[in-house]
Amino acid sequence: MNGKDIRKLVIACDAGMGSSVMLAGQLRKALRKQDVAVEHTPVDAIPADADVVVCHTGLAARARRGAGGTPVIPFEVYLGDPAVDRLVKAIKDGGEVDA
Amino acid sequence: MATTYTPEPAGSGIRANIQRLGGRMAAMVMPNIGAFIAWGLITALFIPTGWLPNKELGELVDPMIKFLLPLLIGYTGGRMVHGQRGAVVGAVATVGIVVGAEVPMFLGAMITGPLAAYLLRLFDGLVQDRVRTGFEMLVDNFSAGIVGAAMAVAGNRVIGPVMNTFTEWAGDGVGWLVDHDLLPLTSLLIEPAKVLFLNNAVNHGVLGPLGVQEAAQHGKSVLFMLESNPGPGLGVLLAYWFFGPRRLRPSVPAAAVIHFFGGIHEIYFPYILMKPRMMLAAMAGGVTGVAIFVATGAGLVATPSPGSIFAYLAQTPRGAGNWVGVYTGLVASAAVSFGVGAALLGFGKLAESDPEDGDPAAGEGEGAAEESAADKSATKESTDEQTGPQEPADGAARETTAH
Repeated sequence: MNGKDIRKLVIACDAGMGSSVMLAGQLRKALRKQDVAVEHTPVDAIPADADVVVCHTGLAARARRGAGGTPVIPFEVYLGDPAVDRLVKAIKDGGEVDA
Repeated sequence: MATTYTPEPAGSGIRANIQRLGGRMAAMVMPNIGAFIAWGLITALFIPTGWLPNKELGELVDPMIKFLLPLLIGYTGGRMVHGQRGAVVGAVATVGIVVGAEVPMFLGAMITGPLAAYLLRLFDGLVQDRVRTGFEMLVDNFSAGIVGAAMAVAGNRVIGPVMNTFTEWAGDGVGWLVDHDLLPLTSLLIEPAKVLFLNNAVNHGVLGPLGVQEAAQHGKSVLFMLESNPGPGLGVLLAYWFFGPRRLRPSVPAAAVIHFFGGIHEIYFPYILMKPRMMLAAMAGGVTGVAIFVATGAGLVATPSPGSIFAYLAQTPRGAGNWVGVYTGLVASAAVSFGVGAALLGFGKLAESDPEDGDPAAGEGEGAAEESAADKSATKESTDEQTGPQEPADGAARETTAH
């Protein structure tokens, strides 16, 4: 899908209370000027209206199972991961989001 | 794709299942951590050996742990299964096992709450299309009331006694480990489990409930510190900062701050996943810390969640010996993890000889495979690989520490 079409970005972690909140804060700042809602949830409770899901590779298998057809973007490190940076860039400038 | 650092670990099916089960248990506890902390603070303050002993306020301790906390777990468990209606019957059913129980019924609440909610969900699904117009509220309220009442009775008579036995076994098991000085060895399981994102499952699903029981009897428990000790993770991160691959170093200080002060342990997991033998450093630190905690008889009053140094300070009970034990163990675990981690990273020599994260000393298949994978991706997206991770890592680091 195209990054410009993303309206709701969901960050999932195990409990939905720790690392996902942290990353959501960072991405909300990065995407402040875009019309994108950034939310955080437990990996087993990904909302159906999410356009794209971001979660750590260690949880990606669970996220994919719960996300239905929603693209899941896995990342490796919590600060400055290239996959997350690519997603932010795709949302800002348009471009394909590969999941 | 972010697979440039590590391949997705094998066997994720089983791991995902364990994660899911443990995650569900943790998901019933974690939203209620505030209540656990409130209980911990009240206990630390008002019990006879507390900071401000007070008989009347001390009476809060027992009902909170025997009723409030299990009821919150049962309520939350029910809500996970069937929304607000599930939450209500979950709480009602939990009362059944709580009343008359000898020990705080956390495990029982984790089963009874969701089970009652599941039964109500089945019933709701069954009658959904058959209720006459105007009778919805009547049916809704009475079905919840009947399921709740039935489950409370069943819980009291059947589930309660069974869970009582289980809880006692689990407690005895931990007691056995303590008596035989084997508790430090649990770190050999706990530290790897953390990194596989089982940290919440281990801490809030297993150790926390057992620890609360112990804390209710003795005013403190070492079980709260087995998983939550931020020392090993800090040691590993510091080892990376000084001796790790050069492209990773800029991101480490911010990660260490988030880990140690913010208590978000997840941030150091990737650093171990990308160099799995660093696991040994975390394990060594964990064993050291627990050994010192046990030897000094240290303990906390409640789960320090998140596992931040600030949460530790808030949950350390009165008594100079206890403070010495907790913080000696914490510092020692960080120091040992740092030492072992630094050695495993060749004290930076490996980073000097090969800036691309290659590791001649490892020599085994794993290291070679990692290296060739890194090479491949490096040629494929060379600009992205070389400049990408470092620059944004630095930027994000500055942004995060600014807060």
